[in-house]
Amino acid sequence: MISRRTLLQWSAALPVLVPAAAPARAKGWPAGLDAVLIDRRFGEVQMGAALAPRVHGFDGDVTDIWFRTIDPLWRRPGFVIGGITGPDALFVLERLAWDRGRRVVDRRELPGRGSDGRSATGWVIAPVHPSVRA
Amino acid sequence: MAVLPPDMDAAGFSRLIEEFRGAIGADWVWTGEEDLGPYRDSFSPVWDTAEERRASAAVAPADVAQVQAIVRIAARHKVPLFPISTGKNFGYGGPSPNVTGSVVLDLKRLNRVLEVDDRRHFALVEPGVSYFDLYRHISERGLKVMIDCPDPGWGSPIGNALERGIGYTMPFYRDHFGASCGMEVVLPNGELMRTGMGALPGSATWQEYRYGFGPDPAGLFAQGNFGIVTKMGFRLLPMPDHYRTGLITVPRRRDFVKLVEHVNYLSDSGLCGEAVYGSPLQALMARPDFAALATRKGGPSDAEMDAAASAAGLPSWQVDLQFFGPEAATRAHWEHARDRILSDIPGAQAIEGDHFPLPATEEQLRNTTQPYRTGIRRYGALGVPSLGIWRIVRDDGHVGFFPILPRSGEAVFAMQRVLGDALREFPLPPYFNATTAPLYWHSFAFQMVFAPSVKRSDPEHNAMVHRAMKKAVAVAAEHGWGDYRAAPIYQDEVAATYSFNGHALRRFHEQLKDAIDPDGIIAPGRGGIWPRRFRK
Repeated sequence: MISRRTLLQWSAALPVLVPAAAPARAKGWPAGLDAVLIDRRFGEVQMGAALAPRVHGFDGDVTDIWFRTIDPLWRRPGFVIGGITGPDALFVLERLAWDRGRRVVDRRELPGRGSDGRSATGWVIAPVHPSVRA
Repeated sequence: MAVLPPDMDAAGFSRLIEEFRGAIGADWVWTGEEDLGPYRDSFSPVWDTAEERRASAAVAPADVAQVQAIVRIAARHKVPLFPISTGKNFGYGGPSPNVTGSVVLDLKRLNRVLEVDDRRHFALVEPGVSYFDLYRHISERGLKVMIDCPDPGWGSPIGNALERGIGYTMPFYRDHFGASCGMEVVLPNGELMRTGMGALPGSATWQEYRYGFGPDPAGLFAQGNFGIVTKMGFRLLPMPDHYRTGLITVPRRRDFVKLVEHVNYLSDSGLCGEAVYGSPLQALMARPDFAALATRKGGPSDAEMDAAASAAGLPSWQVDLQFFGPEAATRAHWEHARDRILSDIPGAQAIEGDHFPLPATEEQLRNTTQPYRTGIRRYGALGVPSLGIWRIVRDDGHVGFFPILPRSGEAVFAMQRVLGDALREFPLPPYFNATTAPLYWHSFAFQMVFAPSVKRSDPEHNAMVHRAMKKAVAVAAEHGWGDYRAAPIYQDEVAATYSFNGHALRRFHEQLKDAIDPDGIIAPGRGGIWPRRFRK
């Protein structure tokens, strides 16, 4: 599990890395994210409440949250999302993001491991293609 | 590392890219290292080596007319295109081309579900439509059809079918190319062709009768390089009323022979869906003494395996059965299967599994209510796309060798022994051992799985995996077992094993390729088929 302190340290580094997230920053969310995704293998979902207007949790399998929530948002311009997940979930999300003109713009391994022994990764996925830039 | 198309200099490449930009818009043409990252094979065992196949550019046309424009430009410049649908063919090369310097033709923007008919049970889709897209389209409209999807389900029906991918429901639908019906293809000269009834103007049966009149060339576009499929029809299973499961176990190793024959009968009679075989003895592989027995060179004897099973109080084999249809029919089919097998195999036992009306609830999809340990992955079994399988992927992915073998217990025992012995020299998990069960994904054949992981940070490990893959292909072929699908880096080796009568099949493919695509505009090398320009 990662600590709340680690989470806050991670988020503190993000605003300069995520210029596309200005709208969320302007509304007072310090990390500049429109949403944050917490993999429960690595931390409690509530920890993300300080980071973004929306916090979503999942249990290692991104299917449901991606299909019902993230992909519909990725089909429209804008929307910067950060996450604390395992590398397996990020592998899936990164490839799905490419399909929607988005990229991982920040990625870093964090101290702490999940319940299955995998390392935690903090990341940000932002729109980069002109068709989805806000 | 900048890459150029074959036989092209930087100035020619610049002219090519400008023409692509003029045809489809600059936003949909990519040449930068970072932009081309998504078109590398993330699972490649030859990542960052000279053997890795890299694209020089990628283009994403918006519609069929733009696909035709791209093909004509490529033909003028003699530049190979490598078409992909959604590029999720991981384990088999992902989106990477056969020829370094190819331009990836990314068809993700052709993403329309053109038609789903739940009275005549078919769909017509474009290549950028994923299984998730099709599932969403069907479920949002409450249409009474079930898709058959691979696991994970993020690929496309067209891309998967053209790779001869498989699923997990009823036999006819599990063969995704076999369940296709009618396609539209951009040929290497840019011309548009439709197969089957699609060739008859005004026909309303394009997705109902696949052949039309005369030879049907549809098969050439699966694992081939004769055109770019821009529309494709698929037969769909009418949504069954009910789903039922049951487990059969048999006590002795040799009982597997009869068990397979019974399940073949049930499956070929249309009485059951995918049968999931397994060996409860796999649980003993953590014990060094048992693992040594199950992996012993030459294989253990039946008596030794039976003694181990008896001592552990475990049956030797099991099969998870699945039934679809009206509730009464699923019950009758299960009872018939149970009675048929238990009356023929002494000591066989049956456990009734859970059953419920369809569509399934979330809890039923999670498969938490089964009264026994099951090998069924319920999402795939019920045609619901999922990404959950990625949780089991370790390291940096894997490569896959899935040899085809006969549906017989004897063939399973032979492959366990032959490939187990052949791969002993490699420090890998014992994929082939005396507890390895066959996969019953294809409609009428078994497969077994060899899928060693790759580690991007460990080139020596990857090189070992690369050698093991090539040896597995070669040794399997010596015994009449061929791979069904392969990454570009293995396609020549695999194609070479299909060598009857002096490689007559390969020579026929080459003659066709030379006739319609002599410059190799469409995916030269795919399926092991090279046009004259590229043949050594």
